[in-house]
Amino acid sequence: MMKQLFPKQHVMGFIFSLALSVVALAVITFDMSYKMGMGILLVTALAQASVQLLLFMHIGESEDRRTLYTNIGYALFVGVVTILGTLFTMIWGYQIR
Amino acid sequence: MDTHHEQQFLILNEPMILAAMISIVVGGLSIFIGLTYFKKWGYLWREWITTVDHKKIGVMYILVALIMLFRGGVDALLMRGQTAMPENGLLDAQHYNEIFTTHGVIMILFMAMPFIIGLMNVVTPLQIGARDVAFPRLNSVSFWLFAAGAGLFNISFIIGGSPDAGWSAYFPLASLEFSPTVGNNYYALSLQIAGLGTLMTGINFVVTILKMRAPGMTLMKMPMFTWSVLITNVIIVFAFPVLTVALALMTMDRQFGTKFFAMQDGGMDMLWANLFWVWGHPEVYIVILPAFGIYSEIISTFARKNLYGYKSMVISMVAISLLSFVVWAHHFYTMGHGVMVNSVFSITTMLIAVPTGVKIFNWLLTLHKGKISFTTPMLYSLAFIPIFTIGGVTGVMLAMASADYQYHNTMFLVAHFHYVLIPGTVFAVIAGFHFWFPKVFGFRLNEKLGKLGFWFITISFNVAFFPLFILGLNGMTRRMYTYSESTGYGPLNMLSFIGAVGLGIGFIILVYNLYWSIRYSPRDESGDPWDARSLEWATHSPVPVYNFAKVPKINELDAFWFAKKNNESLNDEPYEKIHMPSNSGMPFLMSGAFFAAGFCAVFSWWIPAIVFTLLIFVFMGLRSFEQDHGYYISVEEVERTERELGGDKE
Amino acid sequence: MKVDETLPLEYSTEENQLKILGFWIFLGAEIALFSTLFAVYFTLENRFGTGPSAQEIFHMPPVMIETILLLTSSFTIGLGIHAMRLGLKKAMMAFFVITLVLGLGFLGVEIYEFVTYVNEGATIQTSAFLSSLMTLLGTHGLHVTFGLFWGTAILLQVRKRGLTPETANKSFIFSLYWHFLDVVWIFIFSFVYLKGLMVL
Repeated sequence: MMKQLFPKQHVMGFIFSLALSVVALAVITFDMSYKMGMGILLVTALAQASVQLLLFMHIGESEDRRTLYTNIGYALFVGVVTILGTLFTMIWGYQIR
Repeated sequence: MDTHHEQQFLILNEPMILAAMISIVVGGLSIFIGLTYFKKWGYLWREWITTVDHKKIGVMYILVALIMLFRGGVDALLMRGQTAMPENGLLDAQHYNEIFTTHGVIMILFMAMPFIIGLMNVVTPLQIGARDVAFPRLNSVSFWLFAAGAGLFNISFIIGGSPDAGWSAYFPLASLEFSPTVGNNYYALSLQIAGLGTLMTGINFVVTILKMRAPGMTLMKMPMFTWSVLITNVIIVFAFPVLTVALALMTMDRQFGTKFFAMQDGGMDMLWANLFWVWGHPEVYIVILPAFGIYSEIISTFARKNLYGYKSMVISMVAISLLSFVVWAHHFYTMGHGVMVNSVFSITTMLIAVPTGVKIFNWLLTLHKGKISFTTPMLYSLAFIPIFTIGGVTGVMLAMASADYQYHNTMFLVAHFHYVLIPGTVFAVIAGFHFWFPKVFGFRLNEKLGKLGFWFITISFNVAFFPLFILGLNGMTRRMYTYSESTGYGPLNMLSFIGAVGLGIGFIILVYNLYWSIRYSPRDESGDPWDARSLEWATHSPVPVYNFAKVPKINELDAFWFAKKNNESLNDEPYEKIHMPSNSGMPFLMSGAFFAAGFCAVFSWWIPAIVFTLLIFVFMGLRSFEQDHGYYISVEEVERTERELGGDKE
Repeated sequence: MKVDETLPLEYSTEENQLKILGFWIFLGAEIALFSTLFAVYFTLENRFGTGPSAQEIFHMPPVMIETILLLTSSFTIGLGIHAMRLGLKKAMMAFFVITLVLGLGFLGVEIYEFVTYVNEGATIQTSAFLSSLMTLLGTHGLHVTFGLFWGTAILLQVRKRGLTPETANKSFIFSLYWHFLDVVWIFIFSFVYLKGLMVL
């Protein structure tokens, strides 16, 4: 019964995401450069998001999977453009401070 | 600033506003009395207010759009009237500020948007052979939220005062400090409510088009208008959340003392402009792309040819949808960011002209060697091509950041975007209105009056807006309520005013045509008065509630056209019972709660605002627990309806 | 209504499939919404005026508790959907109850965190940094709050009506929503708290 209720995949996914959170903590426990820290955070956050999306949200299970991937891809495009574009326009490329 | 505009609940001391208020009250009362006298309340409730039928929802959208066109048009006439002569005293500065603000907001968000969404609603499910949209109830919620937002925005000029910081409501001007009336609270909250409705429309139509097409209709066999609707709604889904956030931050800055766009405590006033245009530029394409779809349908119908370069049309639209998200900073080149930023956005802006240019050539080549019939919708489409090209070319001029320092915020810019939006959107919706009118009502609008209106509108448009290019180059800035005689702006402004009056007459002819045609136009029996190509013409006019008695089966683009030419049927199978969604009054009532909550929030009456917000959640809860599986139309009833409408179709 | 027996209950009717796709597209819009809030936050994070900076107010312990609570709740709702697909109504309901309790715990800690900030003199009106921080966290928190009510409503329906195509569909969609909130939290955890506390 326990095996049936707690499928291996889900348990592994859960442990994996907890582990990723702990790895991310490294950026505040160890002394490292900004670039290094941001790199670690990006990798751990994206990995965790993928665990949720692929494993828990079953994005690939239905016949609409291509639409769903396109949808998420489009959203990420708009999201990244909004974030980086705003920073580019308002901070990095701003002349007057 | 005019002190008598501050902190006043009912605006009673402005003769023009008072007159408008009296006419609204009289108009409202006469409608109320009329409905009661003719016992039409039940009809209105059953057939319209509670409807989930996409066709009726579309008609209501267009009706509101026409009313808003009138409201925004009066604003435009007042502006052009005020500036027709140097040092004119028709409007004071404050009133002028309010009018150019409401003109912009209304024309974009409460006229162009609902007109486009209305046509989308009427046509898209028919073009893909569906019985309704994916979520009919949600569609009704969308409409009523839009209506609540439009209503809230429009009462601002009598209750509390209109927003006066421009349609783009830049900070710090739009902050509490510089716009102390409730006007910009109205702006933020009414657009928020209407925007929620639009977001739901976006989701609804994406799902409808992706999942509910007739059997055999692959994506590349969809009519071009449906393609444009799909792309438009994708943009809506991803752009409107940005507006939602921007407006929420505006409300918080103005009413809760946050510091997002403040000029102290770390705030950044231009961040508003940035967010506004991150949404605002895709928004331009939201109102333009469906227009491209409409023109594609009309041009191929009346050139009697299939659309030239279907694939390149689709690819260019997809390209536009992505590029539209990466050009926004060209709206504020002069803000003070560096060379790098301006260069990048200059290049992306010029890039977006490429797919747009591709489309122009596609239309021209569709016309090439076509057997063209010059109907009213076709005339608008033909006029669109050269006029829009002028708009596009001046857009490329503005795209060059260094040159833009010269044009920025002058009448040149005003002329440019009217040259884009009027042929691009207004001509398209009028053309679409004439084109699909017989589908909805079963008779055509009068062609003679239609053409008269066309000539009035097209010529007057150029008379009204071409002078503004020159005025802008001569240095006249936008949004100035008056100017001295020595500037020499007088004559061209007078010319522009004459054009504006002509445009007004053109729109009156349009409305008169509506009246005339309802009374006298011969009824159309065929369902396909234009000998057109796509599926919406395969069913009866007016369209029965279930759209298609039998869902058509498709094997190619323009399948209906070829079936017609080869005398084939799109479906030979017997009738089946049809599942339909049931009507509901809940969307209307819930939007009422939205309106009330929004209205109370405008005046910071927090306790009633919270009560009404809770009421919204009560409605959502009721919906969650509701069990509604729709109803079936029996085979006998379908047969009877089809017989009454003049026999089997498809 | 046509029911396709070969598919899981939540996908079994055409209407159900439309709803799942529609909700995914809504989540796409939510990504755009939270991206905008992140854009605002990143733009304003160093603009704290005379107020406290991120380094001065962030404390890791409550954030770690919130993270563990939300990650676990995401795990349990996944198990709930798994149980639902096996047709185990009781187990499914139990997992949903655990999920909602964990969500409530998350919300409690978040409220505690906000109260602490305010007591330290860091209110939403203090600076642009704090306005953007509290709006980002608050929007996520409001989503969680809404989710608690929504989840409860669905739970009541499952209890009353059993696992039908309708209730299964609602439960599945709710699970998508809950997982999504977890994803958003991961980004808040990484790019608000950890990034803010990184020693440069």
